[in-house]
Amino acid sequence: MVAIEVPEVNYTDYSNRQLAAVPLAFLVLALAIIGGWVVATGAPANLGLEFTGGVELRVADDTNGDVQQQIQTAFDREPDSVRTIPGDDVVVVTFQAAQDDPEGLANDLQDQADAAGLTTTAVDQVSPSFASDTARTALFGVALAFLGMSVLVFALFRTFVPSLAVVASAFSDLVIPVAAMNLLGIQMTLGTIAALLMIIGYSVDSDILLNDSVLRRTGEFYESVSRAMRTGVTMTLTSIAAMIVMAVVASVFGIGLLRDIGIILAVGLCADLMNTYLMNVSLLRWYKFEGVAR
Amino acid sequence: MLEPIKENWRILLLVVVVIGSSVALFGPGFGPEPAPGESASEAQQGITNLQYGLDLAGGTRVRAPLSGYTATDVALDGDTPGAVAEAVAAELDNASTRDVGVVPEERAVEVTELSVTESQFRAAMDAAGYEYADVRSGVTQQTRDETMSVIQGKINEAGLSGGSVQQIQSITGEYFILVEVPGQGRQEVIDLLEERGTVRIDVAYPDGNGTAVQDGALIQDDFEEIGTAAQSDRGTGAYVPVTVRNTAADGSQSPAHAFQDAVAQRGFADAYQTQADRCGYNPETGAIEAVNGDRNPCLLLVVDGEVVNSFGMDPGLADSMAAGSWADTGNFRLTTGEFTEAQTISLNLRAGALPADLDISGEGTSSSISASQGENFRTYSLVIGVLSVFAVAGMVFLRYREPRVALPMIVTALAEVYALLGFAALLGYPLELAVIAGFIAVVGTGVDDLVIIADQVMSEGDVNSRTVFDSRFRQAFWVIGAAAATTIIAMSPLMVLSLGDLSGFAIFTVLGVLIGVLITRPAYGDILRRLLTVR
Repeated sequence: MVAIEVPEVNYTDYSNRQLAAVPLAFLVLALAIIGGWVVATGAPANLGLEFTGGVELRVADDTNGDVQQQIQTAFDREPDSVRTIPGDDVVVVTFQAAQDDPEGLANDLQDQADAAGLTTTAVDQVSPSFASDTARTALFGVALAFLGMSVLVFALFRTFVPSLAVVASAFSDLVIPVAAMNLLGIQMTLGTIAALLMIIGYSVDSDILLNDSVLRRTGEFYESVSRAMRTGVTMTLTSIAAMIVMAVVASVFGIGLLRDIGIILAVGLCADLMNTYLMNVSLLRWYKFEGVAR
Repeated sequence: MLEPIKENWRILLLVVVVIGSSVALFGPGFGPEPAPGESASEAQQGITNLQYGLDLAGGTRVRAPLSGYTATDVALDGDTPGAVAEAVAAELDNASTRDVGVVPEERAVEVTELSVTESQFRAAMDAAGYEYADVRSGVTQQTRDETMSVIQGKINEAGLSGGSVQQIQSITGEYFILVEVPGQGRQEVIDLLEERGTVRIDVAYPDGNGTAVQDGALIQDDFEEIGTAAQSDRGTGAYVPVTVRNTAADGSQSPAHAFQDAVAQRGFADAYQTQADRCGYNPETGAIEAVNGDRNPCLLLVVDGEVVNSFGMDPGLADSMAAGSWADTGNFRLTTGEFTEAQTISLNLRAGALPADLDISGEGTSSSISASQGENFRTYSLVIGVLSVFAVAGMVFLRYREPRVALPMIVTALAEVYALLGFAALLGYPLELAVIAGFIAVVGTGVDDLVIIADQVMSEGDVNSRTVFDSRFRQAFWVIGAAAATTIIAMSPLMVLSLGDLSGFAIFTVLGVLIGVLITRPAYGDILRRLLTVR
């Protein structure tokens, strides 16, 4: 049987700069991607229906004919996207809100679908002004959660550098998944916001474990790190496994919310592995061996 | 005797919680509230007492603000609300007194007519001479509350079980009305919300030995103003004050004058001489029966073609109608015996007309899921949940390869989810996709913490005494507590911000973390101690 053995990393072979270089490079790259997105599209990510406004119809694929074909001809407006859900014989058709958001757009579209003999199983409509409100609220929520977490971490450890290490790693854990979403073409939805908040909660766990092991336990630095790592890597891998399974199964069944949460958390947790055991370890080592002495 | 209980109280607590959850999940009496005319077993969805939200059961959710503008901090100069409304409405071409609301308690004046723009409203307020601090979009608290009760009334009337109406406030301070109706399509719900029932007042009068009815003596549009139900100031009973429009285009008769003529013609003044003269209309037969030997004419309140109430008339009012002076004001009161009845009549007269319109297409959102789609989602999320648990279990087995560590870990994590489901049943919280995501997140964090406990306890060789175990367990718990606190902090904004389904996700994640830290993780510690302690 295969067994998971958490590898022992020989940290002494690398300098702090070398250790921190990889996660910092990823962070800079992620920030550059997000910055590029802002310049190119005016938003840090591909905003989903909930943040732009529009209508999403779920059309049942119950005809034997070509539903895709039918969808192309059924609507007066060109759909912005048409997605087929493999596990559920359903096609999801999305219309972004028009500038001149006509009254009762959802009704019109549903009527057009009905007229074309398509069965709509679900209709979602979000008005643009409501959507921009939601975007503001979501941004505020993430900022508030991050701030609350930072304050709590500083209160728990009461030392600057190790606390900063946790907060910096959490920041990077948030930024990298957002950049990954942009590259993978995943839209920012309420589900991904929930996932980002969850990352704040989840990713801090392994950082706290590491800090606790190094700062509050007896024992030599490298021994403490490898002890925390054994536990922490197991933890994170377990969560990643759960999230990947959730993402894969949910995308087969076309449950967008669960798929998004799964993907974002999986990416975020991978980023966390890197940030915790490269960036945090190097910051802690600097603090332990040089920072305290000064 | 007591020693084993004291030794293992954490495990016992977990067992008690699991048993409690079973009772909440399967026991009778914890099921969903049955709708009128529905038995408790019919209200149950599936074999458990769990309730499913729209995502998982099908239905429609509409979230929209009420359209209108409100002037705040208005100096009403002691004028009556009616006078203020009239003065403001007079300055607006496209609104009548009915569209202008005055709430002295909030020092607010609102306009609910869709076509009135903000600048028109400001101009009208200025022209009417009332000073105000500002004009904001939206309506007053009182109108929101009233709208909610009208919508709730409509939902109840339509017999839609499980429908709900809530008011939510967004981060920008704007208020939204959130309507959720399970099992109904989008169009049905919007129709229900926008539908205006027809309400009219008929006059029934004795015709020989039979009863004749003059239809539509007053119709809905004839009312200038419909007041809220009020308790009668003398004696018992309640009433709804109404004002009938007494102006009309040139050449035609105003509704008030027409109504006055009809009442006078049917002999109300002769019939109602004293307070003892009552209306004897029998709604079942549709005939007027004799009261104290007289068969008096009656006013009938007809909603959607059905007579919902009948009234007699106050002698003074009947006289003023006969004399032709009543139409100068057009005021009268529809009296009833019970206050609640007066409330119903007031609602009926507004006839489904919401006090302010829901702006669904402009600033609202709506989503709708068919029942079959919901059912599919229910199956799928069960599959996703089970597979995720398997993934976690697989990882744990691979890592520890020791069933006596891994098995209790998985059992404990499952107990945590089970306890959460019990909570959901107990609270009657409807399960949504977002809540399912919360459950999966809870399994994730739960197992993380159990891994911390197991590693910590086994880290420094064999556990050969209780003291050693306890000290290691306490150390592990510091990390778990800190991690739980950050998760709770991170999730708390979602619980309060109005971000749709996500509050369910946040609530159940936080609840799961709390159950984990307070109940299941200490219990796992005890189990592990029993298994590992070398005696």
